[in-house]
Amino acid sequence: MPSATSSDTNDFRGLAGTSRPSRTVQATTDLITGLGKIWLWAELAKQDTRLRYRGSLLGPFWLTISTIVMIGSMGFLYAKLFHTDVSSYLPFLTLGLIVWQFVASLINEGCGTFTAVSSILQQVRLPYSVHVYRLVFRNLLVLAHNFVIVPFILFMFHVTPNWGVVWILPALLVLCLNGVWVSILFGMLSARFRDVPPIVASFVQVVFFVTPVFWSPDALGAWKSLGELNPIFAAIDVVRAPLLGLHTAPYSWSVLLLVTLLGCSGSFAIFARLRYRIPFWA
Amino acid sequence: MAVVRLERVFLEYPVYHGSSRSLKKALLAASTQGNLARDALDRVNVRALNNIDLELRNGDRLALIGPNGAGKTTLLKVLAGIYEPTQGCVVTSGRVSALLDAQVGLNPDATGRENIILRGMYMDIHPREMVKHADEVAAFTELGQYLDMPVRTYSAGMMIRLAFAISTCVPPEILLMDEWLAAGDAHFLAKAHRRMEAFVQASNILVLASHSIPLVQEWCNRAIFLQQGYVAASGDINEVIAAYRRTLQMGASAA
Repeated sequence: MPSATSSDTNDFRGLAGTSRPSRTVQATTDLITGLGKIWLWAELAKQDTRLRYRGSLLGPFWLTISTIVMIGSMGFLYAKLFHTDVSSYLPFLTLGLIVWQFVASLINEGCGTFTAVSSILQQVRLPYSVHVYRLVFRNLLVLAHNFVIVPFILFMFHVTPNWGVVWILPALLVLCLNGVWVSILFGMLSARFRDVPPIVASFVQVVFFVTPVFWSPDALGAWKSLGELNPIFAAIDVVRAPLLGLHTAPYSWSVLLLVTLLGCSGSFAIFARLRYRIPFWA
Repeated sequence: MAVVRLERVFLEYPVYHGSSRSLKKALLAASTQGNLARDALDRVNVRALNNIDLELRNGDRLALIGPNGAGKTTLLKVLAGIYEPTQGCVVTSGRVSALLDAQVGLNPDATGRENIILRGMYMDIHPREMVKHADEVAAFTELGQYLDMPVRTYSAGMMIRLAFAISTCVPPEILLMDEWLAAGDAHFLAKAHRRMEAFVQASNILVLASHSIPLVQEWCNRAIFLQQGYVAASGDINEVIAAYRRTLQMGASAA
């Protein structure tokens, strides 16, 4: 039998019963057994990416092309508008946009974590976290497709990354962790309240312009730290700065870790408390 | 050994519709008084299962009968571990396979062959393992070249063939079935029937929700008659069917 897994036994005991595992234990079990099903969510995520571009010549590399077009058109225009040098602005913009797209699509798609798979939730018993990991991994794959541009841009404009580049891996790990809590929280909220996804979508659009994605916080002058305290900026900065051979802004890591901690605990509390409602909502 | 045990199981859930889906309404409702909140939230609580006790062991083949909305599918979902009961205790031991919906896990844009692997994954079967079953599944469906076409080009009957063949490729220890095969053509139904026979023999516990009295009489040795979430009768298949028929006649004469 291929599947001597934990799903072999299924033990729910009523609130009145003595030995029913607490909600916290159940939620933790969900997150851990879900993570263990890496073959499932990784494969589903790969398939999502493949199927989205089925029949197109370049496949998922269409994403790369569209990013290149965006960078090309924005790069030269905004370098003029901001009176900066294209050769320093373009690499800055490229990395900013690529990481922004990752963060923004985690937030936007996070709203559909559960509603997008409602028929699965209704019919198949799986840890709910499987859907979360699938979503985060799918976006990580998209990020990887976009990232192939980066070495070319850095080479073209003679940017040398510093040793801080090794911090990109932990940075991406932390970003993924944030993706997990965001998709659990927004996924549950959107399943329960159907007006959340459009609210989030318009909010994300605003955030793009008020966050130092395509402009530097230095441009704020005296208000510089206001830009640097923006958690979305922090998320971009920890990846972008080392690749550009710069130091990360003073608060980036602390802001990011604080948001991760608060987000994870808040999201976990809600997940543990209301997890059993998910199949009724979605 | 396969075991299914339910003790005093209750299941209640809120039904959301209309304005209860709106965050704005919920926030406004929270800021106004209590009785207003209830109106504004527009939320109805449904008690879908009411004090269900059940114990099944190897060889038990249980039929769930009852009118529409009696809680048959809900009970199957509780047994499958999809719904967590509000109160009470559910214990199952053994590999559970739930055939609740034919279409589930089929990706319309993927080909038939890809969907064999995909649906297998949802059944907790690793693609490496599923590849071994793929040919047998393909043969059973008799879909031939259609297997290399996207599933969205399939007719309803073809989709059911595919879904049925995949779901039944590995015999489970506990099989939960909702009645959904009827859309297949006669040739397929006969073939499915033969396969089900072998399948039910291999499966230790069967729970079948159905309106078809001849079908459950053929497949099952025990039955539960559900009415509005209550167990109206339970025990030997023929006694329960008799009770069900009496209720139907009473309903008919009352109407």
